[in-house]
Amino acid sequence: MPFDQALRFASIWLASTSFIGLTLGAGLPAWLAVLTGAALIVALLGNRGGKVVERLATVTPISTSGWNLLVIVGFLGFWVDVLWVSGELLPAGVHFLMVLMIIKLFNLKLRRDYLHLYAISLVAILASGSLTTDLWYLPIFLLYLLAGVWTLLLFQLTKHQEETRMFPMSVTRRPQLPASVGHVTSQLVWLANGLALATFGLTLVIFFTIPRVSAGFYQKGFGDNIRTSGFSETVNLGAIGPIKRDPSVVMRVELPDSSRNEASRFYLRGVAFDQYDGKSWTNRLNYRRSVSEDATGTYVLRGNRSHAPPLLGETVRQTILLEPLDTPVLFAAPFIERISGKFPGVQSDLTGSAYLPFPSSSRIEYSVVSRSNPVLPSDFDSEPSLYPESFTRHFLQIPIQSERIAVLAREITHIHRTTYEKANAVQTYLTHNYRYSLDAPLAEQDQPLEEFLFIRKTGYCEHYATAMVMMLRTIGIPARLVTGFLATEWNEYGNYYLVRQQDAHAWVEMHLPNSGWIKMDPTPPSIESAGSGSSTWHALGRMMDTIRLQWSRFFVQYSAADQLAVVRELKAGSTSARNKALDSMSAFFSPFMAMLGGITEYASQGTIQPLVQVLGPVLIGLAVFLWLGIKRPWFKRMVCKKTPRDEQLIVQLYGRMIRHLARKGISKPAATPPFEFVRLTRERWRDAGSAVGLITELYCRTRFGQISPTREELSLAEDHLRYLMALDKP
Amino acid sequence: MNPTDIIRAIQENIARVIKGKPHVIEMSLVALLARGHLLLEDVPGVGKTTLAHSLARSLDCSFKRIQFTSDLLPSDIVGVSIFNRQKQAFEFMPGPIFANIVLADEINRTTPKTQSSLLEAMSEAQISFDNKTYPLNQPFMVIATQNPAEYHGTFPLPESQLDRFLMRLRIGYPSPEEEKRVLDRPQSLHPAEELQPLLTAHDVLLLQEQVDHVLMEESITDYLLAIVQSTRQSDLLSLGVSTRGALALSRAAKGLSLVRGRTYCLPDDIKELAPIVLSHRIMVARAQGLRQRSFEQAERIIQDLVDSIPVPV
Repeated sequence: MPFDQALRFASIWLASTSFIGLTLGAGLPAWLAVLTGAALIVALLGNRGGKVVERLATVTPISTSGWNLLVIVGFLGFWVDVLWVSGELLPAGVHFLMVLMIIKLFNLKLRRDYLHLYAISLVAILASGSLTTDLWYLPIFLLYLLAGVWTLLLFQLTKHQEETRMFPMSVTRRPQLPASVGHVTSQLVWLANGLALATFGLTLVIFFTIPRVSAGFYQKGFGDNIRTSGFSETVNLGAIGPIKRDPSVVMRVELPDSSRNEASRFYLRGVAFDQYDGKSWTNRLNYRRSVSEDATGTYVLRGNRSHAPPLLGETVRQTILLEPLDTPVLFAAPFIERISGKFPGVQSDLTGSAYLPFPSSSRIEYSVVSRSNPVLPSDFDSEPSLYPESFTRHFLQIPIQSERIAVLAREITHIHRTTYEKANAVQTYLTHNYRYSLDAPLAEQDQPLEEFLFIRKTGYCEHYATAMVMMLRTIGIPARLVTGFLATEWNEYGNYYLVRQQDAHAWVEMHLPNSGWIKMDPTPPSIESAGSGSSTWHALGRMMDTIRLQWSRFFVQYSAADQLAVVRELKAGSTSARNKALDSMSAFFSPFMAMLGGITEYASQGTIQPLVQVLGPVLIGLAVFLWLGIKRPWFKRMVCKKTPRDEQLIVQLYGRMIRHLARKGISKPAATPPFEFVRLTRERWRDAGSAVGLITELYCRTRFGQISPTREELSLAEDHLRYLMALDKP
Repeated sequence: MNPTDIIRAIQENIARVIKGKPHVIEMSLVALLARGHLLLEDVPGVGKTTLAHSLARSLDCSFKRIQFTSDLLPSDIVGVSIFNRQKQAFEFMPGPIFANIVLADEINRTTPKTQSSLLEAMSEAQISFDNKTYPLNQPFMVIATQNPAEYHGTFPLPESQLDRFLMRLRIGYPSPEEEKRVLDRPQSLHPAEELQPLLTAHDVLLLQEQVDHVLMEESITDYLLAIVQSTRQSDLLSLGVSTRGALALSRAAKGLSLVRGRTYCLPDDIKELAPIVLSHRIMVARAQGLRQRSFEQAERIIQDLVDSIPVPV
């Protein structure tokens, strides 16, 4: 492929990547996206044959001034957009950028136009970069980088090409030019791609070491936060049901210390509720106080609690990557002891829940140390005891209409003596005698709990948990409802739990005098929430999610503090730094390797069939197009076309000739017109006469007659110039 | 036949009579195509009249010759009103000016009054007589000759009137070989009488129209204007070239382009034509010597000026 054609191709590629980036990031209006896409395709087709574009240009009678007018109209449209349509500067700017790109794509003639297109593409990719922190940006950016390297190289090479035309090398090395000059060779392909790779590597190094000012400016707005339910101060019974089918990811939980137990279900506690009015739960202990930060940036929650039991349970360390939610609740395994993360502050209420001061608009990462409360031996045989009024007011509160429930509770528990046994009896009763279903329309009922317990006997976690809390309270055991998430989806590639909206859950905490709050869950394990991990597609999905997590971890969340750590360790120059770097590298690349393995495995399973079914027709269509095209005259015309550069070319040739003659001692006086100079040359250097005459004639015809030379004439002129260069002056 | 071939055929035709003067023939054709008039200035007997005659013969146009003498009257050129007894009215009898090509021989021998009657016809392409306007034939071209060697009894044309001529040409003596061939020719017949017409008057008009379509690129127009400007600023000249002179140079350049088979002008055309188109339109300053009608001196000054002006590249 000749350089100029390759340059055009690479430039359009560059524009395309930035356009795709912007489309994915900014959500362009459909008509603009379609228009830009069409412009890109037309420009790309134009790369194969200028005739198509020329024909289009003649069909659309828009002159240069017409295009300029369009730019002005676009600019006015931009202001209209800013003031009335979008109402914001950024989206309007993005729209205007696309309009500029379309106009430029139709006017890709001079080198200047190419530079303009690069500038537009750069702004577009920068804009899309600041609009998003998603993983898809990485491949787009890599493509952009590759295209950028190519265009820069080709731009420089074509410039070099033009310069060598103007400043030819010494005569002795002439007449034969190497055939490969001016074409994209395999070496160049290697060089360009290698350069792009090296650039990327260097970028990584710079990214991890050079200090940064700030992260993205245009993070997702508040409106984009994931809408949760069940974590506000008042929650209607049945509120969790509707979101149990939403698969959007809410958080990812890593357990650095423990390896995953296949059957384990991981509870992520959110908020606890104490008051039930028959239809909805309310948290009356919602007084939040700020938790003070210690010297290491950790917020210590436990220990200040009024009913603190001795710390005996095992601790769980978790690292949680929380998506932007509409609630300020910080989720963690029960019960939170310490939280560390980049927060402006942490608050906690009296039920041991932790909150941010306000919902985060971006993804946040935090580590938690939790300690669960084990049931102490002394509680195994303790009977229901008396609690202070301030305690019973909250955790033994019962709405008025619960007489049947109390009867049922007593019926179930009267054979048991201890608190713990009674609670277990209730839990077992609920788990075994009720059917789990998300289709239970209990939310509209006047007395949803009675409906669940005595009529329908189907429900979901909230009903189970509410029923258990009510039954425990009627027999004098303090209990409360807890909402949160129940993580079941283990990602074996990244070793973390993936938590989705559909994992939202409600369960019970009951109080034992010595042990404190104990987690109970009467909900039977549902079939729906069990991840069907065997499917290959799910495995692929988990792999993709792993990469997404790594992307967020290593690039989006990478902060100045992390950078500082890297720099410090680099300074220390210790082997540990190197090891750590290697570790983090392998941590980053291991999912890729795993994915590669997964893909080969996938292919070996023979399930590649659907892929072939999709790709096959596309490839065949492409082949048919090419085969048909090669046969057709229009295709040939496309291939050997005349570019507007031909005119410049002959002018350059003439310039080279004049300079060469000047070096040979025949310089052209300023006042000598072209053909007079031909005569002059002929008198002084007879052999050069014909070559000079031919080039001068072609030049004059182009320059003053505005008649474009044909390809044959151009090559003839080039041959003559080469002959002239090789000629020795007597 | 395309214009280039026609023009070449005419050149060859005339060259059979005017030996060894291709440049003069070419330039006279340029004057014809550019709708201009030609002033031939040279000593007698070098073929001025023959040139005019053979050009007219080649074109199948009407040709009239007026020998200018000191007693020639305007009516001898334009025509007279004669009382027609049958019609009982005056009747206009057209003079020799009503021809396609008019040879005004020794134009400087007649009185300014007569001269001006001719010059008016040249610029207006029409004659006003007795409150009536008579359009001249088209194409219309005056080829005037004058003898620079004689001063006695001549009325030199003023610059303003010289301006009406598109170009001033010198024929010059032929080379000895060419002269010998002229002598070897049979003397019985005037050489121009042998020529066959190649073009009709209508064809000439078509060719003249083609001149209008010759492209003059902007940089060449600028070059032309730079030359004209330099004549106005030169210390050697007391009168520079008028706008009509610039227009004439432009037209002549277009004509020359067509004659040479091009559809566009070159800087070469301008440079080549500048001395012969501009030199009779300027006045050489007195400081540069006697105010003589020195063809050579004016031409040299123009040539020097043109040689100092950069050509567009």
